[in-house]
Amino acid sequence: MTARRRATAIAGLTAIGVVAAGCLPAPATVEARRTADLYTTFVAVAAVVAAIVIGLSVFAIVRYRARGDETLPRQVIGNTRLEAVWTAIPLITVAVLFGLTVLVLNAFDDATRAAAGVEIRVTGFRWGWRFEYPAEGIRMEGVGRPGPEAYVPVGENIHVTLTGADVIHSFFVPQFLFKRDAIPGRLNEFAFTVDAPGRYGGQCAEFCGLYHSQMPFTIVAVSPADYEAWVAAHRGGGAGASASPGVAPGGSASPAASTAAGASTSPGASTSPGGSAAPEPSR
Amino acid sequence: MTAATLEAGRQGHLDLLGWIATTDHKRIGVLYGVTALGFFLVAGLLALVMRAELAVPGLQLVGEQTYSGLFTIHGTAMMLLFATPMVSAFANFLVPLQVGAADMVFPRLNALSYWLFLFGGLVILSGFLVASGPADIGWTGYAPNSTLPYSTTTGTDLWVVGLLLTGVATIFGAVNFVTTIVTRRAPGMGLLRMPVFTWSILVTSILILYAFPAITAALIMLLLERRFGATFFDPTAGGDPILWQHLFWFFGHPEVYIIAIPFFGVIGETIPVFSRKPLFGYKAFVLATIFIGAYSMTVWAHHMFTTGAVNLPFFAATSFLIAVPTGVKFFNWTFTMIGGRLTFPAPMLWSVGFLFTFLFGGITGVMLASPPLDFQFQDTYFVVAHLHNVLVGGSIFSMWAGITFWFPKVTGRRLNEPLAKAQFWLWTIGFVVTFLPQYQLGADGMPRRYADYPADAGWTTLNMISTVGAFLLALSVLVFLIAVVEALRRPADAGPDPWQANSLEWWADSPPGHHNFPNLPPIRSERPVFDAREAARAAANGEPPAGSAVAPAPAGPGPVGPAPAGGSPEAPA
Ligand code: HEM
Ligand SMILES: [Cu+2]
Ligand SMILES: [Cu+2]
Repeated sequence: MTARRRATAIAGLTAIGVVAAGCLPAPATVEARRTADLYTTFVAVAAVVAAIVIGLSVFAIVRYRARGDETLPRQVIGNTRLEAVWTAIPLITVAVLFGLTVLVLNAFDDATRAAAGVEIRVTGFRWGWRFEYPAEGIRMEGVGRPGPEAYVPVGENIHVTLTGADVIHSFFVPQFLFKRDAIPGRLNEFAFTVDAPGRYGGQCAEFCGLYHSQMPFTIVAVSPADYEAWVAAHRGGGAGASASPGVAPGGSASPAASTAAGASTSPGASTSPGGSAAPEPSR
Repeated sequence: MTAATLEAGRQGHLDLLGWIATTDHKRIGVLYGVTALGFFLVAGLLALVMRAELAVPGLQLVGEQTYSGLFTIHGTAMMLLFATPMVSAFANFLVPLQVGAADMVFPRLNALSYWLFLFGGLVILSGFLVASGPADIGWTGYAPNSTLPYSTTTGTDLWVVGLLLTGVATIFGAVNFVTTIVTRRAPGMGLLRMPVFTWSILVTSILILYAFPAITAALIMLLLERRFGATFFDPTAGGDPILWQHLFWFFGHPEVYIIAIPFFGVIGETIPVFSRKPLFGYKAFVLATIFIGAYSMTVWAHHMFTTGAVNLPFFAATSFLIAVPTGVKFFNWTFTMIGGRLTFPAPMLWSVGFLFTFLFGGITGVMLASPPLDFQFQDTYFVVAHLHNVLVGGSIFSMWAGITFWFPKVTGRRLNEPLAKAQFWLWTIGFVVTFLPQYQLGADGMPRRYADYPADAGWTTLNMISTVGAFLLALSVLVFLIAVVEALRRPADAGPDPWQANSLEWWADSPPGHHNFPNLPPIRSERPVFDAREAARAAANGEPPAGSAVAPAPAGPGPVGPAPAGGSPEAPA
């Protein structure tokens, strides 16, 4: 293989890499837009770093390939000034990245501390989610697929207090570019403000046992007026609860899916807080 | 000894008892290597089953419970029964040779640590034989999911006990390496004349002594909690699940460097040899190794950003910082090549391949070090891609570089070059096809440790591509095995120094005799064999003897014979 062909191959590999490290979902919250901007900055810096390092290596490979001459090259053992430069430049680069990171983290903290438009308590359990709206008196729970649907108004600060009932789960909505662990014995807080109405799928992201892949949920963002209507229909629990028993792909061994508002008597919820029941392994 | 054994093996009389009873560091190194590769094949097969299952949505091959067992044992075996023991394999074989010693300081402890490792590994795998199946808790074993009543299988107890045994084995090994490096260096070999591989093992061993006690303690606590009523991790009884994560990652993050630093050392050996130049910035490289080791003790909680239980800016800052010494190494490697006279036999192909693949792992690592980005990527396929990028693209690429580089030293035979190159290209393509699509899957939000995913999630195409890549990787391993068998059927004719290399192991026979060296060349730099070769060549040409840093001069013929024995007057530093 000629030096040029090798160089082309390596350049192609690089291009694939840049494409593959790729794109985030379109950000759906105020906070997610910050994350997306930060990510864009990181990718830009990464591209420059990769270009420099790959460029140097490709240059070395192409230019200094042995071409039949048997002479020993000059035995250079180092260059202190060069070495100082290539220590300093990465140091400055990561210092800048760190600064940008802290700015975004501070914004997240501010959102969490800001006055809440809606308070939601979310609990992950084996294998489903419970959403409680203390002020509105709504409590709903869903096991398996398709999981519970929690409504929120767009443009308002939604404050979530998160915990786990048995083992650790993780509340993850890809379009919010955010996840937070639901840990038994701890309360985690975060906040988000959804930009536009829509249905935003979420799922568990911390391995929690047998049906870890079968506990999705949906955040349904609606206009404030529609949200009020939803609250009115569900206030006090019970009303309008759609029990939708379903079977997850894979058949009989999957947990029954159900959504129930007002009560936690859903069939298939094998564990209540404290976690008494363990799953039967499906061989 | 090794030569005779391999010879005998070829004729069907393997000196079995000799191998079982051996305390020779070279044989123990080979035992470690062969056993680790065996576990690699097992863990690789498990990976193939997982990738086959994930190729299309729906559960076709295995159920959820089996899938949990697959990734748990795959991850555990790859990390602790393959990559870590592979470090011991290289270190056992090479460290005494590189420092000019006859053996390790504690040969019997060395044998004990191998047998403990083998036994512990088999205990972990024996989970596949019990009715309730192997451990199903992930290689990270997060509590309380790993406690009763949540993980009911006996396999989890076997996992705990097996890991305790292999952990103790690793600690014994580290004690041996530190002692050997500190006390057994040949006259003239000051600390700053040690080969960078040996330096890497010194730093790694210290890291082991720091990290493994934490996991040992954590595993004992888990066993007490599972079987004897303790409640360390149970929040309903005053325990805390986060405690497990701190203990695990206090070990787990250094562990990642325990299987990276030695392989950086390997690349620090190969690139100079195939560039015909000394390592550019040897002292900076050594210093960077020490810094990486030290920083790696301060970053563990970057695995816990989404717990909401750790100081985000602190652990972000330490994690970002570790990119700096790693960057220094990159420049050491590339500037060694610049101005050199580069040749590309298999070990150099692997080394250059490593530079490109590891770069991506490093870059995505910096992204994960930023907590807001981690909030999206944590526990998704982005992390799966990143960790394999670092482990497969970093450690395993350089492991293959090391295996192809030292194969002639260990066996006396060179690998068939076309086969070795075919293995490299298959592996490289397989690696890119398997793992790069996973970055996009993770960015899209596909969580890791999912036995199945919905058909309408839009993840099917990328998963299918990734699965195809995994089978290319398997094919590459097959080619390697064929190359090994082919080589072992030939007579041993590699000679002591087939690559015109630098460090002392190339002074010994291939394979080295029982006590390694009949004599040693003078050690006046970190490249004693290079110096001896150049001196012999200069003498043959009637030139005045040149030092280590010589001007352009014609290269010598083949390997040179043993030069007059004698060390330099300086004592080890
Ligand atoms: C060479 C081909 C390899 C393939 C095709 C492969 C494939 C996989 C797959 C499919 C998973 C499970 C992903 C999930 O469901 O979350 C996985 C997890 C993992 N792999 Fe590999 N792997 C390979 C090599 C390695 C190597 C060489 C190492 C380490 C040295 C390694 C370490 C891990 C670890 C630590 C995990 C995480 C396990 C867990 O989630 O508990 N893998 N790999
Ligand atoms: Cu889960
Ligand atoms: Cu880490």
